[in-house]
Amino acid sequence: MMALLQVNGLCKAFGDVRAVEQVDFTLQQGEIYGLLGPNGAGKTTTISMISGLLRPDAGKVAVDGADFWSDPARAQRIMGVVPQEIALYEELSGRENLEFWGRLAGLAAAEARGRAGEVLEALSLADRAKDPVKNYSGGMKRRINIGCALMHRPKLLLLDEPTVGIDPQARLNILEFVKKLCADGTAILYTTHYLEEAETLCHRIGIIDHGRLLAEGTLAELQRRLGGDQLFVLEGELKGANPDDWPQFLERFRIIQKSDHQLSVAAHTNRHPSECLKDLLDLPIRVENVTLKRPSLNDVFLQLTGRQLRE
Amino acid sequence: MLWNLLIKDLNRARRNPWPYLLNLALPLCITGLIGLVFGPSSKGGGMGQIKLAVVDEDDSVFSSFLRGAMNQGEAKKYLDLRFLEKESALAQINDNKVSAVLIIPAGFTQSYLRNSDAVEFELVKNPAQSFYPAIVEEFMRVVVAALNAVSRNLRGDFPEWLEVLEKEGRPDVRAIARLTERLGEKFDRLDGFLFPPLVGYEKETRSKEKDSGVAVNIFGYLLPGLAAMFILFLADNSVRDLYREIRLKTFDRFRTLHHRVLPMISSKVVLSMTVVILGSGILFLGGGWIFRIQWNRPMPMALLILAYGLFASGFMALLAALARSERRADVLNSVIVLFLSFLGGSFFPARQLPAFLRDHVCPMMPNYWFIEGQRGLQSGSGDVLWTVSALKLAIVGAVLVLVAATLFQRSLAKGARA
Repeated sequence: MMALLQVNGLCKAFGDVRAVEQVDFTLQQGEIYGLLGPNGAGKTTTISMISGLLRPDAGKVAVDGADFWSDPARAQRIMGVVPQEIALYEELSGRENLEFWGRLAGLAAAEARGRAGEVLEALSLADRAKDPVKNYSGGMKRRINIGCALMHRPKLLLLDEPTVGIDPQARLNILEFVKKLCADGTAILYTTHYLEEAETLCHRIGIIDHGRLLAEGTLAELQRRLGGDQLFVLEGELKGANPDDWPQFLERFRIIQKSDHQLSVAAHTNRHPSECLKDLLDLPIRVENVTLKRPSLNDVFLQLTGRQLRE
Repeated sequence: MLWNLLIKDLNRARRNPWPYLLNLALPLCITGLIGLVFGPSSKGGGMGQIKLAVVDEDDSVFSSFLRGAMNQGEAKKYLDLRFLEKESALAQINDNKVSAVLIIPAGFTQSYLRNSDAVEFELVKNPAQSFYPAIVEEFMRVVVAALNAVSRNLRGDFPEWLEVLEKEGRPDVRAIARLTERLGEKFDRLDGFLFPPLVGYEKETRSKEKDSGVAVNIFGYLLPGLAAMFILFLADNSVRDLYREIRLKTFDRFRTLHHRVLPMISSKVVLSMTVVILGSGILFLGGGWIFRIQWNRPMPMALLILAYGLFASGFMALLAALARSERRADVLNSVIVLFLSFLGGSFFPARQLPAFLRDHVCPMMPNYWFIEGQRGLQSGSGDVLWTVSALKLAIVGAVLVLVAATLFQRSLAKGARA
């Protein structure tokens, strides 16, 4: 199946700062691709290049099989873009905002009116349609922000951190709405720095940091990078401890993260957890607690970058 | 699309009108304050008498006729003439007792009647006063225009008039009678132009007319200057909305919808012009009503305002594109508008400025074209000036809009932020 969005070798620099470097990924119809990374990782710059706001220094963006820059208008008609900021006119009502952006997207007046009603219903905002946006809660503004990009029924939706700064309930509503869009066949590129969102929402995830795509795949594929299901977290006094000096330790385990009080390791082989645990308890350090857990995206990020996503 | 953008902006302005209202109220208040401080002493916004010293070095029958003409009828209402020797007249300027000194040089009548190329009055303006000297200058322009008209039409008779005036002894009454008859015939032929048929009625409210202001109103002179400046501020406020759009990311959202930058810039220019038209309506009509100004040429005035609105919008769009950030624009735009207003004659008549500015810089300022055009229309001496000014303003405005759109497109493509 032809990818709806194909990104190859995308690069962008601002002066000496390389904001995005050699980013590649594809997105199929009905798929949610999560671009996960901390603030400043290059997520928004990537979306800006895909949507035509910025011209890449190098690389290609193909939308529905055609190069973006050979016919930007055609590509932009296919996509809807939801910026990270709430790009709405606060003095206008939710309905007026939707109708306005619908008209600019090419809908006739009557069509825009009808579609605005549908979108308001879908976003559960019909009862507040006439209120000025400035009187909306953060979550409601976020929903209208998404709705404005949906007016022309785009096949490809670019969502740039659509849940930043809202309460958990409002976030849940938006995630449910995004899932529904995906079920209807919309391809969604979803950037976030929330691990839970990427884990629960996205079919595939690309981990981006310092402008580089460090790894990508399904959640399971990414977890397997750390040695399947087994991740051991040791807590205790680790100051001065040197794993290089521990016999056979590095042949059996891979260090994910080490601090003065915590050591996270994954087993290299599929040995039974009890055997791994025995090896770990035999280490010449004072261990106060050991936890065995399934690796999270944060652990993957930790392994790839040496730091927590939330740092 | 332009219509949608404009309606959206007007709706936003309607729901948050304070920035616009402030810019509209200020010029009216300031015009009133300046007028009250420097201008009128009579009721109804009219101005008091202007003190003008006249030095008649020519001392001929003709110069006596000129002196007499300025010292009677309507002119006497506005001019307090003092006939003095040159030294005492200049001394009165130094003492700030007169607004200007008019010197009719020796040989003026001879030069005029001999059709000499260089016939000159000398007008010395009081540098301590702003508006009265400028009004006297305007008045003298009218006198010069009238003398030119007389010269063009009666040039053929001038040698004979000169002969009569120069004749020693008793005047040649027959010659004067002959010339007067010929003059009368010429006036007869011009009758249709000089005295067109009039239809009118007269209300029996003469007692009230005394209070209803006078034909020359100092506010009518002040208001165009201040309006020129506040129209720039109004345009700035409207065009500055581009920054708000960039800051709110609505501009980015617009750019993701297969549109180029020009329509957005154009929509702000149209918004700005709409606001300028509304604002000018309030300024000129409201100002006219409040200060009892009777605008003489409303249609040309409106066209000139329209052209100036385009210039103001284009100029502000260009500044917005050059400033590249709202914070920088906050500082830059106000300074530039004030400086431009100073050079264009919003604060003082441009003719009061130092010679280099007055002769070489001010005439290059588009707001000067507007202000002088409006004042010319009001004083009745600017028929050619206003059309040329309007055309220049419209062309410059359109070019500035295109340049601004190009600059915005470039800076946004490079990732510029508000």
